[in-house]
Amino acid sequence: MKMNKIYEGAHQWIMYGRDPHKPDKIIDTNQYIVRTADRCLLIDPGGIELFAPMLAAVLHHAPVEEITDLFASHQDPDIISSLGLWDQALPNARLHAAALWEGFLRHFGCETIEYVPIADHGGVIDLGSVDLQVIPAHYLHSSANFHIYDPQARILFSGDIGAALEAPGAPMVVDNFDSHVEKMRYFHQRWMPSNQAKRVWIDRVRTLDIDILAPQHGRLLKGDDVKRFLDWFDGLQVGIAV
Amino acid sequence: MQRNKSQFVAVASIAAELSAVMEVAKEISLAAANAKAIAFRAGEKAKGFQPITDFINELAKETIQLVNDINEHALKLYRLTVQVQRTTDARKRFEKVSALAESATHRASLSGALQQVQRRQMQYRRAFNADVSELLAQLADVMHPARAARVIAANSRIEASQAGEYLQSLQAVAESVDHAAQIINDKVNRCRSALSAIRGMD
Ligand SMILES: [Fe+2]
Ligand SMILES: [Fe+2]
Repeated sequence: MKMNKIYEGAHQWIMYGRDPHKPDKIIDTNQYIVRTADRCLLIDPGGIELFAPMLAAVLHHAPVEEITDLFASHQDPDIISSLGLWDQALPNARLHAAALWEGFLRHFGCETIEYVPIADHGGVIDLGSVDLQVIPAHYLHSSANFHIYDPQARILFSGDIGAALEAPGAPMVVDNFDSHVEKMRYFHQRWMPSNQAKRVWIDRVRTLDIDILAPQHGRLLKGDDVKRFLDWFDGLQVGIAV
Repeated sequence: MQRNKSQFVAVASIAAELSAVMEVAKEISLAAANAKAIAFRAGEKAKGFQPITDFINELAKETIQLVNDINEHALKLYRLTVQVQRTTDARKRFEKVSALAESATHRASLSGALQQVQRRQMQYRRAFNADVSELLAQLADVMHPARAARVIAANSRIEASQAGEYLQSLQAVAESVDHAAQIINDKVNRCRSALSAIRGMD
């Protein structure tokens, strides 16, 4: 599992991905952690197959008892099917996920971990020394879907938005936006169902000050590429399967 | 993993066999009610048959009660199977974390969780095995009424032979009770061997 520190301040953001031992047929995912002095948040911790490499990687940065928070942007298996394993590994953790998905996510096993339901309008994840904003992104693509914005680091974790389907071992950061677009187009057109939801999300996100857009698949978009992405997404027709 | 898979299959097939046993026991109970009506109509001629029908009915009821208890037990066994599977999988993956995290600063922090999952896995396995033994004993109990029903069916045939024109219908009752008891016997035997097999695996 590759590890990449993407923000270093009073707290840190670390990105994990490109696991070389990942079985071929499962989609590659990016996992993120936000590390404070004594707490650690796992963002979209990943599927069952990713559990062992992911926890092994996180142990470079935090002991299990300091992994206090998990966040699931939505209910997909590549996001959180590992929940039943985290549930047995973490002695004191909470899962922040949509209230709408609670009855569904509990199928993965959630007995030790406390489920903290997120209302439709979003909220805040309080990590003690830092507050992260939970931004609604419903229907993009899941019907109850959230992103995380860190105003200090100016990072927006954007779940499946900004995702790209790429060959294994692709770089972590977009270097040429124009050529990268082709790796994102089908993903957004086919997985995102609603032009109306897209409109609302873009308007909301344009008010945020963002240095890094961090998706759950593909590469980070940095600096001017964030605005380029929003403009490109704005013009894209989604929900193409009907 | 292979063991867990066959545990799931075994426990599920037990549930399926048991619900079939339940159906058959209900049939016996119905046959007993039928026989009672016929015996009533036959009057004097079937005097010896009447207490037998009551007895058959009781056996059927007893079987239904036993199967109900066993079903509850089987459900518990299914939950334990899930727990065994969960902890076995977790243990395997925690051990993998440990191996992968060779050089990680906080590798030792996992040891508490690893020990706990090992402990739980052992606990669930022990509980599972104890439960299988109990269930086997309960299944042996279900064999008793079924066996008794077969003896009674044989008696019924003799009694039926004195019932004149009711001979045929009473004989048919005796046949169906015998047949049902045999089915129960077979199904329960199948449950027992499925269970013995998974017990042998641990
Ligand atoms: Fe998804
Ligand atoms: Fe995804």
